[in-house]
Amino acid sequence: MAHADQNIGSLQPSALMHIKQRYFATRFDTVITLICAALAAWVLWGLINWALLDATFGANRGDVCREDLHGGACWSVVATRWRIVLFGLYPFEEQWRSAIACLVMVFVAVLSCVPWFWSAKRLPILWIAGFAIFYVLMRGGWFGLVEVTEQNWGGLSLTIFIFAAVSLLGMPLAIIFALLRRSKLPWIARTMALVIDTIRSLPLLSIMFTFAIVLPFVLPGWAIGDKLYRVIVGYALFFACYQAEIIRGGMQALPAGQEEAAQALGLGYWHRIGYIILPQAFRNALPPTINQFVITFKETSLVTIIGFFDVMASGRAASGTADWNFATIEMYVFVALIFFVFVFSLSRYGAYLERRLGVGRR
Amino acid sequence: MTDMAIRIASMNKYYGEFHALKNINLEVAKGQKVVICGPSGSGKSTLIRCINRLEEHRSGIIEVNGIELNDNVDNIDEIRREAGMVFQNFNLFPHMTVLENCTLAPILARKIDRAEAEATGMQYLERVKIPEQAHKYPGELSGGQQQRVAIARALCMAPEIMLFDEPTSALDPEMISEVLDVMVGLAKDGMTMVCVTHEMGFARQVADRVIFMADGEIIEQAAPGDFFDNPQNERTKAFLSQIVGH
Repeated sequence: MAHADQNIGSLQPSALMHIKQRYFATRFDTVITLICAALAAWVLWGLINWALLDATFGANRGDVCREDLHGGACWSVVATRWRIVLFGLYPFEEQWRSAIACLVMVFVAVLSCVPWFWSAKRLPILWIAGFAIFYVLMRGGWFGLVEVTEQNWGGLSLTIFIFAAVSLLGMPLAIIFALLRRSKLPWIARTMALVIDTIRSLPLLSIMFTFAIVLPFVLPGWAIGDKLYRVIVGYALFFACYQAEIIRGGMQALPAGQEEAAQALGLGYWHRIGYIILPQAFRNALPPTINQFVITFKETSLVTIIGFFDVMASGRAASGTADWNFATIEMYVFVALIFFVFVFSLSRYGAYLERRLGVGRR
Repeated sequence: MTDMAIRIASMNKYYGEFHALKNINLEVAKGQKVVICGPSGSGKSTLIRCINRLEEHRSGIIEVNGIELNDNVDNIDEIRREAGMVFQNFNLFPHMTVLENCTLAPILARKIDRAEAEATGMQYLERVKIPEQAHKYPGELSGGQQQRVAIARALCMAPEIMLFDEPTSALDPEMISEVLDVMVGLAKDGMTMVCVTHEMGFARQVADRVIFMADGEIIEQAAPGDFFDNPQNERTKAFLSQIVGH
């Protein structure tokens, strides 16, 4: 009887009961709980003190920060130098273009969350249009906009540009790679497998280096192009090899009957791929695909090595002057926050997609 | 044009070294209903899967509606549009609604406009008695309902021949009759049908001919009356006694 009562109690505990059972069940539990709570409070208090209570806000207050005895955060560096982080060396009077361009890409990303755009036609059109607007705004030279060459692009807008270009170029490439990898002709499938495995076993950094530095010696003059685009092509190739294997995994998870049913209905190869195989393969491969996008966004920072000022390098540059060299941590926190906003929303969107696409599935 | 819906002559099929179908000769006239039975592994599924090139035969001739099945992709697509197929595991497209399953191939492969394809789709869904499920996804339907959708989907291509590959084998017993009823209805309307099935009641009721296969060969073929009541071959007798024994 007593046992039964206990069961009922544990099924619907009050909040207090719940806390007691979970965290203060034995004397040992109590000690551990108190120690952890104290540690957490101490860290949190230190953080709040540093980031808020003792911190210096407002633009151009570097001198105040220097003389600050409490050692709080100097957010003044962000308030003063944020433009460098967002726009890099982009000319000051033209930075509104860079800002709008970034907003357009963010808007495109938000729009692609709307189910109406989820079709093999609309989604590519949306992205290509968004990307074109972004490019025209950034580059200028048309519609009376002053031309700003790629050498002067930087900061967050460069990061977004590289990410969008790599995705836009890499995704169709990945689909082609995955299809070739599955080809019925053994020599095509094996060659593709060799290419994919080779590129995957090279570090991204060395691929970027090769495309930026080595390629100009090898390629004919007309094919060299700007260093930025060579790096993007190299990165897109790298992305495509990983993503191709993800898509192939999604395809292999499909029962053979799906393709057979489509064949039996008289659907041709491209119809089978476009309407039956790929939509289901992408659905199967959604979690690793989102993961791949997250990694790709974060690894754009590697372009620093070849002399581009992405958001990360711009952050370092922004706090790299003699006036602000004491405030590197604050700058990194700001950059980290930017990354967090992008990557976290990407992850949450992925989770939403998974729930949504689960509809109608067995 | 020929009166033969399907003509198979001296056809052989191998899986690597394994001789899966041995010297198959089979003719099905337009409007005929043929039931193929036999123990598992006897090659019956392989045989009907060769008819629409889901499996490739090595030698011999296969003709569907006078079109020869060879490596010409246009011929293969043409034959696949002429011959609808229903599978053991339904193989509906899970990411599309029931109606979309029915309209996809007519729109893409027959270039029929969407409104007309949807009207035809609804017409066939009514025929298999599930128009009310048109906007659901296959995963929300029972096995019997899914198989009826699969039949409707194949019919939407207006095929002249229907191939059934063990259409009731994956169904719960209480759902078998709803699928067989649809198949009987089709047979009455004069559809040319080749069915791999162990439903002997269905074979007796609609078949013009029953074919018994074992070890990749056609052992015996006869009208259902003769086949069931007076089988000639020992293996046929053994097989039938096992089936009836259940």
